Amino acid sequence: MATVTELIAALPEEDLAIGSPSAKEISDVLSRASQQPVPVGRFRRLTALGTLQAKIGAAYLFHWLRGFFKSADENKRLLAETHWKTALRMLDSMTYLRGAVMKVGQTLATFPDIAPPEFVETLQKLHFDAPPMHWSLLKEMVNNELCDDPESVFASFDKQAFAAASLGQVHGATLKSGEEVAVKIQYPGIARAVESDFRNLTLFLLPARLTKDWESTKDQFADLSRRLALEADYELEAANLRKAAALFHEEDGIVIPRVYPQWSTARVLTMERLPGIHLREYLDTHPSQEERTEVGRKILRAWYRMMYAGKMFYVDVHPGNLLMMEGGRLGVLDFGFIMPIEGEEGELFRKMDRALTTGRIEDRLAANKEWCNLRDDETDRINLHEQYADWCWRPRYCGGVFDFGNETDFREGIRLFTEMFRRRYSRARPNTPAIARCQFAWRSMLYQLKAKINIRDIAEEEVKATGWDRSEYAE
Amino acid sequence: MRITAEEKEATRQRIEAAALELFRTRGFEATTTRDIAKAAQIATGTLFNYFVAKETIVAALAEEGLAKAHATVEKQPAAETLEESLFTLVAAELRQLRPLRKFITPVLETALCPLASATQNGEASLRVRHLETVARIARAHGVAENSPVAWQVYWSLYSGVLAHWAADKSPKQEDTLALLDNSLHMFAAWLQDAAAEPL
Repeated sequence: MATVTELIAALPEEDLAIGSPSAKEISDVLSRASQQPVPVGRFRRLTALGTLQAKIGAAYLFHWLRGFFKSADENKRLLAETHWKTALRMLDSMTYLRGAVMKVGQTLATFPDIAPPEFVETLQKLHFDAPPMHWSLLKEMVNNELCDDPESVFASFDKQAFAAASLGQVHGATLKSGEEVAVKIQYPGIARAVESDFRNLTLFLLPARLTKDWESTKDQFADLSRRLALEADYELEAANLRKAAALFHEEDGIVIPRVYPQWSTARVLTMERLPGIHLREYLDTHPSQEERTEVGRKILRAWYRMMYAGKMFYVDVHPGNLLMMEGGRLGVLDFGFIMPIEGEEGELFRKMDRALTTGRIEDRLAANKEWCNLRDDETDRINLHEQYADWCWRPRYCGGVFDFGNETDFREGIRLFTEMFRRRYSRARPNTPAIARCQFAWRSMLYQLKAKINIRDIAEEEVKATGWDRSEYAE
Repeated sequence: MRITAEEKEATRQRIEAAALELFRTRGFEATTTRDIAKAAQIATGTLFNYFVAKETIVAALAEEGLAKAHATVEKQPAAETLEESLFTLVAAELRQLRPLRKFITPVLETALCPLASATQNGEASLRVRHLETVARIARAHGVAENSPVAWQVYWSLYSGVLAHWAADKSPKQEDTLALLDNSLHMFAAWLQDAAAEPL
């Protein structure tokens, strides 16, 4: 039988190279991926996913084996190296798979403390830098949808995409009337590919099927899958954009891009192109505490306005979808993933709002029990849910200025969330993953901004503007 | 009475236009050669001087469409990669063939079939002409491939894409674009690997 030393010696040479991947390596990965079409067939995507798992597993196993022979400091260095390589491999596979797998990458990137910083930094590139479809394919898509080539439809059209969307890519263009626009174009057949991604993810989750919560997890996946399918309908997104834009006024300093319906279809969406920078670039300009806090306030105001006045739950909160614009304005992009707050969902939101507003533990418990279908005898589960809900909602119900940059507090949220994950407490309403992701995402952005905000005041102002009478909460 | 070449060509075009319109409105199966002759204002017997069957009319229309597509592609600047150049060629063909999509199957089963002969009426067949264009594109990208295996692989993928397109029910046949992209990616990678590591 081979010894550990022999096994290490037999490992591929490329894994022995020390050091972080250079910008060139990342750019090579992106350019290689740009040559690859999106694998639409289920089997091909499944194979790629399986390979990815194997690569990541091998990277960590390799680190563990080498760790036996290294000092502690050396070990730390090697761990960073493994993280880098893993991030690169994941990036490599995800830009190739796009679709729902890219969503997983974006979700991980909003958890700055759950994954190593190098890993997150690399994954964050997915928000902006994923590679484009080649020009000929793109031209065919535009021709199919707008009945002519992009060069004829628009006064000018950038061949290079300036942003990647999970289901498509965004190009800069100028209308013949002179307006600068962003044209989002969908990969052909991606909606069906997303559906196939979810079937694959469900297969990977099969080991969880023996737990009591499997049915609930399956429903949650089905819900997310259904919502992603809706996200593939750009006509629906255009309607969401128009509805959201009507909620904001110039004095709010919150800008929603205007839609140009004449150049929009279910697969192509032409919108006003907002000038601005993303969160990472913004933070690199070393804004003052007051400026950072103001950005945080605007993020929350936009989110609450859509929720209370628009009855729209904006799920896709991540740094790629927010722009810091001139004059302190905030641009909100990407309205593909909006949950309407209506019907049974609307009723549950009212109950959540009650708990959020009063801060009473009995309201919180009642809302949690109903949302997660908890039984009275599930004491551990109830306690953990209650602690997590308290972490999520405390800044809102306590009132006063809350320091979102508090690292201990943020880590506590991560700990509670991962503990729920570790114990496989996944039973909840089907839309819970989307809501949990959103909750974490804006909390994470406020953490990165180190914002200090009285969130309760903003929420109350927004509720008051709608005229919603909540006097019953006093009972 | 002697008929000039111009008059012959004009009649031929009239027959093709009348046939296309009838295929579109009545459907391929429901249209007879008699209907086509009547619509083209010629005797049924005269029609057979030009086309032996309605399937050959579709084949002629396809041939013209493919020639137009090749001429368009030749005028365009070369794409950066072999895969993209091939995509441009086939996408241009599909655009030209779009009016024939619903009744192109007979052409797939005859003129474009892998077993079709290399020549037709003394001229290179549609298949050979397409493959020559592909070989020219491959050479322009530094891939000098001449093995019959390569062209058989290519033709299987190409005719598979056309067959899928003919029956594609996805909106605006977008699934065909994805299939074409995947197929050409696979073929270009295989061709370039084979060129780099000859057996």
